Amino acid sequence: MTALEELKKLPTRKENPYIKEWKGKGRSIVGFTCHYAPKEIFYAADIFPYRLEARGTRETGLADVYYHRFNCTYSRCILQEGLSGGYAFLDGLCFLNGCEQIRRMYEVWKEHVPTTDYQYMITIPHSIYDEGFEWYKEEVFRFKEDLANNFATRLTKGDLRAGIDVYNESKRLLKELYELRKSDHPPISGAEAMKLIFAADIMPREKYNTLLKEAMKEIRSRDGIKDYKARIMVGGSPLDDTQIIEIIENLGGIVVTDTLCGGSRNFQEFVEVEKDGDPLEAIARCYYYSNPCPRMLNSFDSRCEYTEKMAGEANVDGIILQKIVFCDNHSVECTMIADELEPKGIPVLNLEREHMLTDVGRVRTRIEAFIERISRR
Amino acid sequence: MIYVGCDVGSLSGEAVIIEDDSIIKYEIIRVRPRPEQTAFEVTKKALAEAKMSFDDIDYCVSTGYGREKIPFSKGSISEISCHGRGAQWANPSVRTIIDIGGQDAKVIKVDKLGYMVDFVMNDKCAAGTGRFLEGMAKVLGVDLEDLAALSSEAASPVALTKTCTVLAQFEVLYMLNDGIDRSNIAAGINRAMAERISKLVRRVGIKEGVAITGGVAKNFAVVQSLSEVLGLQFVSLGEVDPQIVGALGAALFAKERWQKARQREATPTGGNKETKSVYV
Repeated sequence: MTALEELKKLPTRKENPYIKEWKGKGRSIVGFTCHYAPKEIFYAADIFPYRLEARGTRETGLADVYYHRFNCTYSRCILQEGLSGGYAFLDGLCFLNGCEQIRRMYEVWKEHVPTTDYQYMITIPHSIYDEGFEWYKEEVFRFKEDLANNFATRLTKGDLRAGIDVYNESKRLLKELYELRKSDHPPISGAEAMKLIFAADIMPREKYNTLLKEAMKEIRSRDGIKDYKARIMVGGSPLDDTQIIEIIENLGGIVVTDTLCGGSRNFQEFVEVEKDGDPLEAIARCYYYSNPCPRMLNSFDSRCEYTEKMAGEANVDGIILQKIVFCDNHSVECTMIADELEPKGIPVLNLEREHMLTDVGRVRTRIEAFIERISRR
Repeated sequence: MIYVGCDVGSLSGEAVIIEDDSIIKYEIIRVRPRPEQTAFEVTKKALAEAKMSFDDIDYCVSTGYGREKIPFSKGSISEISCHGRGAQWANPSVRTIIDIGGQDAKVIKVDKLGYMVDFVMNDKCAAGTGRFLEGMAKVLGVDLEDLAALSSEAASPVALTKTCTVLAQFEVLYMLNDGIDRSNIAAGINRAMAERISKLVRRVGIKEGVAITGGVAKNFAVVQSLSEVLGLQFVSLGEVDPQIVGALGAALFAKERWQKARQREATPTGGNKETKSVYV
């Protein structure tokens, strides 16, 4: 199997060989739920950070016991996995108050998923301002202390710098991947690229970097995809499945970029540490100030600019903003972004969905109609 | 040249036959269990009316929920594009189309040639669709076709508070138990339907030349309520049955595709660009 195939086929949880391998060496795995979790710190503490996902989860009977109707199906499915033992391999979990849905999931998880010994909640202010940064920085410092105490590891500045280097290397490679996607004839489909993105957060990063570097050679050697009707960018709620992207691409579109929190927003900015600088502060600074999530109140303009910039660079014909029903961060945001960009001549489709896509026929109809609309341009 | 548009929806199937630039025949039937069966039966019926057979069709385009399952069609186009195209053909002044079908409600904006430039479609559920009215008619014990007439007798229409189609049926059931007059409930149902649709219309923005299509357009009480809620008069589709507009649009696209195919044949430099190389 080539590196590209291996990354694309990397299974989650049960069959994932890296989980077993890592734990076999007596090392720990800590889950995280949100873009703002400082992964470099986990890595510096010799902990493998695993982004919680619920790929393929179809039933939510256990989670429904604790959840209200207005909780989203993304957090509901992840909670279901926790309650049914799917995350028993985790030694700990780092939550963030990224959105209300995940915050509530934390409360249920804490009470009812006893297999996760260590659970920590990092809080972030809801706006970007200097005092807010001080708050988040302190939270990150405390988390680092707590993590080191709990997992009995020393965490030196050197360790932190090493963690930063590994993640910066990933970011550099992912930027290269996204550059290839921008070309007129991208050598990789959107569904494939998304699988490579998913793999990053469910395997050890150093190994990921090695495989991705190898995979890039294969991708570069391919012929580009020419026969598409429309170039599309995807944004909105967190995606942990390629289902929607496959629908878009089966209907003749090609997904060439995104503004997703697990996607492009994850690797735009590097963590830069000055020669005598504090690596921990540099990590906190990068997460807090770059590419804000819609949870941040005073940064709508920068998200619009980012969306427009990414759309322009990848020369897209239209943007599909998919939002999970009851997503508190993305629901109104998607409409606001559409209202900003449509008058500038950038077509936007707002698509509501559930985490487990069951209403495929109607989702297809909307995507097909959108492609009909933009491919005439 | 004979062009056929076939629209297989969730509740009904329609076929429209056009020759050159006019509708020759059309048919509407209740859906069968399988979309291909609905398509075959409704098209066969329309062809029989026109004294034609499947062999006489030069080009057929299918649309609607079952659009990809129709063996005799040469291509499929979403019902959103088709409703836009059909309505604008029926009345060239049309720029916005409100289509209320069995399972979906859509608001479609078109340009002066009938090509769709924007749309919204109901996301959530059956609220605001034909399915909602059908369920309600059943609870009230009237035929769907009689719901509008019944509501026109209402003295004080009720207000329905539940958005969910199923919960709203319970609400209606309670009202019937309380002895509320059926006409008042029927009027409340039609009003609730109009309110739900109006949200979609406001989302896409109202343009001049608004037409209403789909099966629910035949319920004059809903149409009247919607016209009141939005504060506008709908433009007429002339003699075109609002329920066949999707199939009509498909037939018009069939004609366009047939003509384009002819043009390509006539220009030898056209070349075949079927080089499928999608990586998965």
